[in-house]
Amino acid sequence: MQLLEYALVGGVLYGLFFSLVGIGLNVVFGVLRMINLAHGQFIVLGGFGAWLLYQDLHLNPIFGVVLAVLGAVAVGIPLYWAVVPRLQQSRDPEMLSFILFFGLAQMIDAGALLAFGASERSIPNGTLGAGSLGILGQAFPDSWWVAATVSVLAILGLYLFLSRTRLGYATRAVMANRAEALASGIDVDQVSVLAFVIGLALAGIAGVFVPFLLGSVSPSLGDALTTTSFAVIIIGSLGRPLGTVVGGLVFGLGTMLMETYFSSWSSLVPYALLVIIVLVRPAGLLGRAVREA
Amino acid sequence: MALLQISGVASGYGEMQILWDIALAVEHGQTVLLLGANSAGKTTLLRTIIGLLPCWQGEILFEGAPLQGLKPAARIRRGIAFMSELGVFPDLTIDENIRLGGYFLGGAEVRRRAERLFGLFPDLAKRRGEPAASLSGGQRKMLGIAKALVSEPKLLLMDEPSSGLAPVFVKQVIETLQTAITGGTALLIAEQNVAFLALADRGFLIEGGHVRLSGTRAELAKNDAVKAAYFGLD
Repeated sequence: MQLLEYALVGGVLYGLFFSLVGIGLNVVFGVLRMINLAHGQFIVLGGFGAWLLYQDLHLNPIFGVVLAVLGAVAVGIPLYWAVVPRLQQSRDPEMLSFILFFGLAQMIDAGALLAFGASERSIPNGTLGAGSLGILGQAFPDSWWVAATVSVLAILGLYLFLSRTRLGYATRAVMANRAEALASGIDVDQVSVLAFVIGLALAGIAGVFVPFLLGSVSPSLGDALTTTSFAVIIIGSLGRPLGTVVGGLVFGLGTMLMETYFSSWSSLVPYALLVIIVLVRPAGLLGRAVREA
Repeated sequence: MALLQISGVASGYGEMQILWDIALAVEHGQTVLLLGANSAGKTTLLRTIIGLLPCWQGEILFEGAPLQGLKPAARIRRGIAFMSELGVFPDLTIDENIRLGGYFLGGAEVRRRAERLFGLFPDLAKRRGEPAASLSGGQRKMLGIAKALVSEPKLLLMDEPSSGLAPVFVKQVIETLQTAITGGTALLIAEQNVAFLALADRGFLIEGGHVRLSGTRAELAKNDAVKAAYFGLD
């Protein structure tokens, strides 16, 4: 019974973190209808940002959250204008975006390898709190709770933006129907660049906690994080950012249950869930049909 | 000077030309019907006017100034609104849909106009917090009209407002347009339902991307080709 409680509590914490890992990819896909195959690499950059803050500047790695937002603005705006409008004017923007973001991912991998080397970089758990917090008799390190709390706050912030602000309505409108949004007078470019920056910022913020929840950060981690993010958003609902929370929780609980009871099979979880969801419910767990007239 | 003056317009999708040498005019406060079958080019023309499709050739003047080169948002700021066949965002609430119709306006102004429209559409007002997807087809058309009117346009482009509706709801849409369109808004309605001729001052018959016929409501109603194609009379 204790093992089950451990798996459930750990699964929720892990799942909230993976909701944050995937949600940026879903925001970008929802608005631009492009899969950012470099999403995992931006998470890795967030991880290295936190590591640099701790290692070189002797600051608390939590400041990496601010660094991730500033970095997303500094990188995201020029990157968007350099790449996305040209892709959208092409004959096959989806396929070209795959190729282009794949190339970008390889460039970031190579740059990170040059800058940080191939070694895995870790940050002591105690830097985000030296103790542990317990629930249902199960104790988890403070860093896990901090990661889950920041994930909840970031997702809540995104929810409030989408549901309470004018730009948020416009973002949901572009996600629903780009042409209709254009015809309604929405500045789709403004919404798109904002969504791109938000997506990168959320990836970077998630990256700050990678050294704590995954043990370390290294340049080779990016592709695996992109794959997991993709699985999480497919499980929730592709194009519906808040569905990612459901996807993250299902992934987190699935992984922790497998690690607890069948640990050698746990790495199969994202792929197995992905295949099952695509076969059984292709719109994702939160995907729903719209009533027709 | 006509409110909208179109001359020699050619347009299409990708490399496929749909419209050839289209010429028409809409005067201030006038209702003009674009009558034509599926694939005649009516929607393409409206999408070209609002800026969703490029104008390959010819000229589109609104209040005497060219529209080419302007993004749809800029055309809407000039006083044109577009109600597509879908008309609404199903995932957004009724209130959010209406507010998006006045996206370029300030928050206080859009709220004031939304409240005025909720007064005209009490059924929508009662359900303002519900998603548009929960509305019936007829109610969605009402919401589409309300959303398009928030910007208080000088010209409202309507694409197939009767699409997917039972005849009783078509009548309701026409009655709504008759009561809701005030203040001199001109209408350019693309339709294949000849019932909308009752609203129109003038009409244009579009076939295969060309204007085949134009005239007043009375002239079109008497025309043998229109009677045969749309009234089922030989």
